[in-house]
Amino acid sequence: MEEVFVPALGMAMDNAVLLEWLKNPGDPVAAGDVIAVIETDKTTLDLTAETGGVLGKHRYQPNDEVPVGNTISVVLAPGEVE
Amino acid sequence: MAYTDLQSLLREMLVIREFEETADKLTLRGKVPGGMHNSSGQEAVAVGVMSALAADDVIATTHRSHHHTLAKGFTPNEIMAELFTKATGVSKGRGASMHLGDFKRGHFGGNGIVGAGVGIAMGAAMGIHQRGDKNVSVGFVGDGGLNTGRTWESLNMAVIYKLPFILVVDNNQYAVETFVGRVTGGNDPAKRASGFGLPSFNIDGNDVLEVQKYTAEARERAVAGEGPTFINALTYRYNGHNVGERGQYRTQEEIADWREHKDPIDRFTAYLLSTGDMSQADLDSMKASVHAEIEAAVAFAESSPEPDLSTLTDGVDSGLLGAK
Ligand SMILES: Cc1ncc(C[n+]2csc(CCOP(=O)(O)OP(=O)(O)O)c2C)c(N)n1
Ligand SMILES: [Mg+2]
Repeated sequence: MEEVFVPALGMAMDNAVLLEWLKNPGDPVAAGDVIAVIETDKTTLDLTAETGGVLGKHRYQPNDEVPVGNTISVVLAPGEVE
Repeated sequence: MAYTDLQSLLREMLVIREFEETADKLTLRGKVPGGMHNSSGQEAVAVGVMSALAADDVIATTHRSHHHTLAKGFTPNEIMAELFTKATGVSKGRGASMHLGDFKRGHFGGNGIVGAGVGIAMGAAMGIHQRGDKNVSVGFVGDGGLNTGRTWESLNMAVIYKLPFILVVDNNQYAVETFVGRVTGGNDPAKRASGFGLPSFNIDGNDVLEVQKYTAEARERAVAGEGPTFINALTYRYNGHNVGERGQYRTQEEIADWREHKDPIDRFTAYLLSTGDMSQADLDSMKASVHAEIEAAVAFAESSPEPDLSTLTDGVDSGLLGAK
């Protein structure tokens, strides 16, 4: 199971805002696919999958603030459950 | 770290690689205040140099210093805890990734000023020279620091006073997004250095034994009173300049070529297996023990306390002036 999370990229970045989901729970996902778009204090950022599988639950909704380091969803390998 | 045999060189390179890749992930998770510079790919420079030094020789390093610090004999526990800015860290949680060090153990620190480690190490060499000690001081700098005035001022000083000094360029070929060849006049660091009148070498920084050999010879000359040596060790940084960088200044093919064909750990592993200095079983158990050591370092850092508020002003001055 791969956790898709908001990475700490800047020195003073505490939160990001989830702008948009590009994949829904249950959607097939390939490595490199953009799962969601977030906005930090400096830029917007695509969060991509590193592995292939099926997307799990959305743990945040658009416009939610997400603390850095927090997981927003998971990519499940065949046979895995959330 | 005691470098007792060839296997110990490999083990230390594995410790550095696993430390860096683990700390990198923790940094992205927001666990490392201030972030960090990952040295994956550059292990042979650190281990090659340190394995040729005496324990009480001095180093001073750069903003990218985890590999130098671990190879100098500091434990993953105290370095990981420092990255987490915990009280148990080597700098008591004050320094974080860029300010690892301990004067008593011959580590005069990392720092955030490109080229500063060279000046600090040259000063330490001057001290060794004054006292007549049989030690050397090594200053590390990146390829970016090759074009900083301080580097050459320090080298000149070391030459004219015949200081026991070794300047090591940890040349990973990029200064943030700038390729070394694009900004280095003459494009031959050893040739440039030799103009200052000292033995100067461009070497393979991904060959741990080559780095060890050139450092050992430089140390011998220095301790014999013959003065400094310049070593430009060519290597490669696999990850971004700092963790979280999403740079597009080099191709994926270039990175893959270095990783797959020139990796210092792969090369030395293959060498030890081919000479019979290590068996596959040795390698497997080494990897398992390294993995456990780094896992334990993370647990140690996670469970360590923050610095206590009552210690806030500790270490701000030397104490010699009467303040606490
Ligand atoms: C005097 C100075 N100038 C600029 C910077 C900004 N800076 C930080 S790291 C860096 C690049 C350093 O590249 P290099 O010396 O090759 O070391 P590497 O990061 O590759 O280890 C720069 C320009 C700085 N910290 N200090
Ligand atoms: Mg560099």
